[in-house]
Amino acid sequence: MYQKVALAIAFSPRMEALIAEARRLIGIFQGELVLIHVGMKTDELESKLDEILKRHCSDLKRIKTIWKEGKPAKTILNTCVEENVDLLVLGALKKEGLLTYYIGSVARKVIRKSPCSVLTLIDPKIETSRFSKVVINGTQLEVTPRVIEKGLKFSQAEGASQVHILNEIKLYGLQMATAGESCEDEVSLTRRKLVQEEIKYVQEILDGLDQSGLKINIKVTAGKWAVELVRYCESIGADLLILGDENGYTFIDRLFPHDLEEILEELPCNLLIIK
Amino acid sequence: MEKLTHSEVVTLLLQLATMLVLARVFAEIAQKFKQPAVVGEIMAGILLGPTILGTFSPESFEFLFRSHPMSNIALAGYTQVAVVLLLFIAGLEVELNLVFSQGRKALNISFFGLVIPFAFGFTAPFFFAEFFGFSEGSKLLFSLFMGTAMAISALPVIVRTLMDLNLFKSRMGMMIVSAAMVDDIIGWMIFSIILSFMGKEAGGIGLGYTILLTVGFAAFMVTVGKSLINRVLPWINKRLAWPGGLISLSLAACFLAAAFTEFIGIHAIFGAFIIGVAIGDSEHMTERAKEIIHQFVNNIFAPVFFVSIGLKVNFIANFDFWLILVVIIVAYAGKVIGCGFGAMRGGLDKWESMAIGFGMNARGAMEIILGLIALENGLINEKLFVALVVMALVTSMTSGPLMKWALKKRAAAA
Repeated sequence: MYQKVALAIAFSPRMEALIAEARRLIGIFQGELVLIHVGMKTDELESKLDEILKRHCSDLKRIKTIWKEGKPAKTILNTCVEENVDLLVLGALKKEGLLTYYIGSVARKVIRKSPCSVLTLIDPKIETSRFSKVVINGTQLEVTPRVIEKGLKFSQAEGASQVHILNEIKLYGLQMATAGESCEDEVSLTRRKLVQEEIKYVQEILDGLDQSGLKINIKVTAGKWAVELVRYCESIGADLLILGDENGYTFIDRLFPHDLEEILEELPCNLLIIK
Repeated sequence: MEKLTHSEVVTLLLQLATMLVLARVFAEIAQKFKQPAVVGEIMAGILLGPTILGTFSPESFEFLFRSHPMSNIALAGYTQVAVVLLLFIAGLEVELNLVFSQGRKALNISFFGLVIPFAFGFTAPFFFAEFFGFSEGSKLLFSLFMGTAMAISALPVIVRTLMDLNLFKSRMGMMIVSAAMVDDIIGWMIFSIILSFMGKEAGGIGLGYTILLTVGFAAFMVTVGKSLINRVLPWINKRLAWPGGLISLSLAACFLAAAFTEFIGIHAIFGAFIIGVAIGDSEHMTERAKEIIHQFVNNIFAPVFFVSIGLKVNFIANFDFWLILVVIIVAYAGKVIGCGFGAMRGGLDKWESMAIGFGMNARGAMEIILGLIALENGLINEKLFVALVVMALVTSMTSGPLMKWALKKRAAAA
């Protein structure tokens, strides 16, 4: 699925854990790993990295390190294009300071602009473990069928024990208030219909897909989809949230957060954005 | 404290009961014909008011609505609160989130769907002011009002139409809904600015200052105001009775904002609308709570308000066929051409664009509220008001069938 995985490294305290997590991923996908570091290449840093790599990777041939100088986010993104990367892995804080959020941290910038899929890990561990509880965004968007398809494949590869697909009823309050002009039976019929339609939407996508080995749960909520996803992930203690991205986000979107931006404000768990 | 006498209380209660019962009966009839409730409620008002009851049974009309001026004042207070609440729920319906998600195409539709009807509505009265019943005051303000009246839309009617046609969740449906939301925000802003120029509201403050105040208040509410709301609502939801605490405090916030805007010289409705937008956009305002507030306002306050319209004006004496016809033509032309053009620019095909134009054409309750405030402020006369009400009803009633027709044509062409 993801043959070429890249990991952005910054010699932070979490670097070793990130390398361990990326190593686990290339193990699953039988792929290769590209480490991208933006900054000066020094002997000290190189030997530090070698040491960590030796600790975690038995087969160093599958790992390539690229050292580049320049603006971090831009350089990482350009390298992903040059190297034909399928999946970019990076570490990010769960929540950033107000100023950093509005100016944009390197991680958030990369997430917003990445040409390939991005896996953001908020709590990487040296002792890695698989993602067992996965939540996939099933809200009605153009990208959703693809996101569900890729999300299921990823979950199968991961051996996830439970996959939740969350869909939401748009403007539920307004729709129900409008339906409220009918008699009691019709109102409850509308209420049921609204829920059933959302389940049907996801079910129809699922029907054409390989679901072997997965326990899938379709859940319908009402409200803004991004906010509902965050709440749901937190309530079930999800390990990974999978969603698609179809917008190029700008500063205005951070001022009036919506969709992906609402999730980036405070990441509920690890995040896989499928492109 | 002054209080109503025994007979005034009885009259007021009788007024409310009669209005609510008739509004319900006619709303039910309207719905049998797949029409919005507001159509029936206006009809009930026409029946109860000087137009029918006042003509055929003047004694009953006199007894119910003319015998006790104090009861009428109390009723006027009730309808004033109703207008504020109606604008509050109109604000709650706006989801900035959805607007931003829809992106460019929706903005194209809303931009042209606002600018072209506005231009049509502005130009016709500006050059033929007398025909539209303009007599004194500023012709510019009058024309600006007509522009706004043509640009506004009625989200609930649009939503109902889209739900009936099973299009609500479609790409087209979401585009129409979010474009209508944008048009409403800008429309109410322009209308508030016009109102603050009506003399008695602001006492001659400058144009720049009024615009700054209006836009500034709106911007403040949807940014700083919203983040404050986002902090307070979770506390309310967790600590106070639900949904009681949430409903009473959000209505209190609505009245406070309305009082504030009225105080600084922008009309009360604008404060109610904008705080509605800010509260409705908060992730902590649950859909269930929104539904309850909607039901509460739509079934207790809105019917009395719409019936009261018919009590104020004689619809037959002020029925000017040609004026009504022209207003309807300008309304259709503006919205269908404007939104249709915007949709085509956004890459939609001819019939789909036309369907969007028809969908956005519904003016419903919002037009009637706008017209009534303009009438009460002396901006328009009763004939033009009647024309606007008829236009609001006709555009709302035809929106669904015309949209269906355009989509059928589209299917046939494909």
